[in-house]
Amino acid sequence: MVHIYFSGIDLGSTMTKVVILDGDEKILASVINHTGAEHRRLANKVMEEALEQAGLPFDQISYVVATGYGRITVPFADRQITELTCHARGVSSFFPDVTLAIDIGGQDVKGLKIKDGKLLDFTISDKCAAGTGRFLEIIADALGLKLEDLGDISLKSSNKVSISSTCTVFARQEVISRLSEGTTVEDIMAGIHDAIASRVARMVERLRTGPDVLFTGGVAKNIGVVKALEANLGCEVFVPEEPLLSGAIGAALLGKEITLKALASGEPIQKEERRLDEATFFK
Amino acid sequence: MAWFIGIDIGSGTSKGVITRDGEIEAYHLLASGVNYGMAAQTLKDELLARASLSAEDITSIVTTGHGDGIIPFSNQHVADIRCCAKGINRIFPSARMVIDVQGQSSQVMQLDDRGQVINFAISDICAGGSGRFLEIIANVLQMKLEDIGPLSLESENPVTFTTGCAVFGESEAISRVSEGIPKEDILAGVHRALAGSVFALVNKVGLKEPCAISGGGGLNIGLIKRLNELGIQLLVPPQPQLINALGAAIIAEEPVV
Repeated sequence: MVHIYFSGIDLGSTMTKVVILDGDEKILASVINHTGAEHRRLANKVMEEALEQAGLPFDQISYVVATGYGRITVPFADRQITELTCHARGVSSFFPDVTLAIDIGGQDVKGLKIKDGKLLDFTISDKCAAGTGRFLEIIADALGLKLEDLGDISLKSSNKVSISSTCTVFARQEVISRLSEGTTVEDIMAGIHDAIASRVARMVERLRTGPDVLFTGGVAKNIGVVKALEANLGCEVFVPEEPLLSGAIGAALLGKEITLKALASGEPIQKEERRLDEATFFK
Repeated sequence: MAWFIGIDIGSGTSKGVITRDGEIEAYHLLASGVNYGMAAQTLKDELLARASLSAEDITSIVTTGHGDGIIPFSNQHVADIRCCAKGINRIFPSARMVIDVQGQSSQVMQLDDRGQVINFAISDICAGGSGRFLEIIANVLQMKLEDIGPLSLESENPVTFTTGCAVFGESEAISRVSEGIPKEDILAGVHRALAGSVFALVNKVGLKEPCAISGGGGLNIGLIKRLNELGIQLLVPPQPQLINALGAAIIAEEPVV
């Protein structure tokens, strides 16, 4: 097989993810970086970093698909595809039998009903910070904890508190009240994770067809939320090795399909003018 | 002689009045702080001092508000919507609706000619629907709460907030600041967003006129103007924050059934 390469770039609200795959769908490079305020400049930087990791020049990449919240600000992409489609494709590549995927990112919560790798239905919550990565950031900040430590801390709880506020602002206040009453940080965090999980479980209820659930996005790195989801959903919750990359991998795989289809029909691959070095398009 | 006290412990500010025959003899406001019981006690002592009365002169005390849990000297705890309706009825007897915008919730009540609540809707699960949203944005802009309403009226190009969420709104405000958008445009946007949430609440119950506004939101000319733009003309009492405390005192004056 000729050497062909595909890249997927997923510009999330909080993190930007890039992968480069070869024709056999092997991951040659993956880069994860904070999105920050300057999306556009960063998209270039992470792509350059990924190319360096893969040892490839940019013109060797047959197809670049951008996805995620900031996908329209990726100037060097050949196509933009919605994150729902890319996520569905990505998670199916890890677990071909997946029927329900939950993705919790920095600013949204998604549930995807999938069959044979295709997206059948979905639910999304992106108008409210409740239960998103942002919610956990704010709670971690109120408790003076690091985001990555929340999961392990919550597992030490023996008596989780009930958090009655859904709203992030009010939940933060509630957490501070519980602290001042002497409730332990473990019990508070267990309560917070349970609050997130029960909300998500209600959201995805109508999408469930199979026994198991796949969980991706940054919040899937939090073992406390994983365990709380298992308790609320009453099933096993699987997390892929790198839960942040499913959107970018799905994007790259969709790029491969588009390319192979074009090659098979003998058409030239549709590529808009694309040069990484000209991609700084600040006006 | 009979005097009565109404105390409203809000999430941010505690308010109290002493009344005689339904007229305010003394009033006081203070920050609620973290100890609501202490705020209530301080408020009561200050009210008595201002009216030159002693505790024995007070016939009955009614308490209400977010922090009205365990105030030991309360003779009766009353829901704030009842107090608000009573208070507004005293100031504006013709009012058939009142919008109460507080620091942590908003509520809309339809009332009859005696100040009884006929129908109501409450928004208390989302900070975006309360005065808290304004506080958060004022904080981003490093402005005092009392200054944001007037400044918002100077905007010619209000910013659109993409969601009603106060957390996402805060991030959006920070982004707009970094883009160099003037403060007044950001403020006009947040007032418009809050007015939109309040308008949705009014529509749940159905607008009745005349309509009054109370709570801290009644001090904010920016919010009032945005509600006017949505077709809601408002009666604004001279001290909108005191309405619930006044209503509580009036309920205290009523004979116990």
